[in-house]
Amino acid sequence: MQALFQRFARTFKKGDIIFCEHEPGDNFYLIQTGRVQIVKIMGEIEKIVDILNPGEIFGEMAMLEEAPRSATAIALDDVEAFEFNKENFELLLKGNPQIALILIRLFAKRIYDQKRRLMILTLKDPEAKVADVFIMLGENTAPEEGQTEIEINTKVEDIAHWAGMDPAKCKEIISRFIAQGKIAVFPEKIIVKEMKDLVRLVNARRKPKEK
Amino acid sequence: MSPKTVQYRAGSIIYFEGDQPDNRVFILNSGKVCLKYSDIETGAEIQEFINKGAFFGVKSALGRYPQEETTQVIEDSTVVVFTIPEFEQLAQQNTRVVLKMLQVFSTQLRRIHKTVQNLMNAKVSVSPETGLYNIACYYLKQQRFSQAIYAFGRYLMIYPHGQFAAEAAKNLETAEARLGQQKSPASSFAPGKLPASDARVIEKPARTKELSGAAQQYYQGVSYVTNSKYKEALEVFKQIIEAGLDAEYVPRAVFEVGRCYYFLKMYDKSNQIFSNMVQKYPKHPDLNEALYYVAKANEEAGNRQKAMELYRRLMSLTAPTDPLNRQVKQAFKALEGAR
Repeated sequence: MQALFQRFARTFKKGDIIFCEHEPGDNFYLIQTGRVQIVKIMGEIEKIVDILNPGEIFGEMAMLEEAPRSATAIALDDVEAFEFNKENFELLLKGNPQIALILIRLFAKRIYDQKRRLMILTLKDPEAKVADVFIMLGENTAPEEGQTEIEINTKVEDIAHWAGMDPAKCKEIISRFIAQGKIAVFPEKIIVKEMKDLVRLVNARRKPKEK
Repeated sequence: MSPKTVQYRAGSIIYFEGDQPDNRVFILNSGKVCLKYSDIETGAEIQEFINKGAFFGVKSALGRYPQEETTQVIEDSTVVVFTIPEFEQLAQQNTRVVLKMLQVFSTQLRRIHKTVQNLMNAKVSVSPETGLYNIACYYLKQQRFSQAIYAFGRYLMIYPHGQFAAEAAKNLETAEARLGQQKSPASSFAPGKLPASDARVIEKPARTKELSGAAQQYYQGVSYVTNSKYKEALEVFKQIIEAGLDAEYVPRAVFEVGRCYYFLKMYDKSNQIFSNMVQKYPKHPDLNEALYYVAKANEEAGNRQKAMELYRRLMSLTAPTDPLNRQVKQAFKALEGAR
């Protein structure tokens, strides 16, 4: 089985671009060793979207649709990865069944994340949008013992991006939240004083379910 | 351990939308069960009937997410219930099942991804062609030359007739020259003088003239070399030479053929190519570089004396300000020191 796999093995040196945003591409990758950084370049700023470790898969959207790459993948270390596409994908699964579960979990996560994002984007009220971004980012964090505060590692620009909103408008809303004592903003993180307040705000402004 | 078969009466609920993650995955064996959930965009309630033999509850169980829908039993039904380990075992043994599931998920993912993108892209975004060119320019500006080389190379391969092809070609040369200056010997050198960098990020597309056929091929070949695809590069360069159409690119292709053989460690061949090149094109801009590769080839082959003689000759042929001069001095010293 190892020999079969070597056919699909590719190596990248640290700093190599694996694929560039906007390139066409129909390969996806399963990392064996090393880490891969996913970045997007917006104007003069390079933004790290994610860092992936061995055992993780990237580039899978290429398998699903004929669309250009949505981000750039760069080898953060020397990287060994298996490179697959729609055609040899079945072969991959037969030879390495545990990949099936990695992929099912990955797709489940992607679908869940997209649905969560969609919930934010479909809110009409801009304040509710921003509040829901905080709720989403805090969803996997529990407050410290005896506290209600939740610390979120994020920047104001990221909030605007999640809310699908103009950064200036987002900053306005965040300033209002700060003035209302709902949140505190620091250079590398944001603290939500009382998540329940934000949840109440969002629920009040969310479209009521039609019967 | 094996999955259990469970009977559900009409009117019962297997799980509610929003329920905490279950540890169970289900297959409908017989009867009628329907999934109910609210459409995220419209808020309207959607009802979907589950097909016999179809899985449900998978995403919630495997991803540990709240349930996305309420499952209502319409007629008396039998359902096979898997624990997560039981499901994992099934998935590992039955590729067909997994492929089918991934197909269903990928359709869902594609649909929802598109919806999200439509809501996000309220403003007009640049075309992929412009986007790719801008990325390459960004890397060049940041002096990340090997990444700029990759990106300009990809641009030229994908858009050989592109709007920015001529600029991309110039910038690719610039990036290669700058990378050569940064790196140690046996990397690419500037052919003659450095072209001016044209790394403005493009907001509006500019009208530029297209590259000639030979030029396009040349840059494709250069791109192959950068990606260490020497055999492919050789094919392309040989085509240019055989066609013999472009006076500018044929001699450059000859030089590149020599380099490819060098990188393929076919030193006799590379030396022969370079020696012929010097005779045929006495005014070739890359004569010194060619000599350098011959010197390195001799060094690699163990001909120390010959290599040192060639390095000495190169030191007198190149100005001290020439980056090649520095490389040659280093190589000479290294060889001298190694006894």
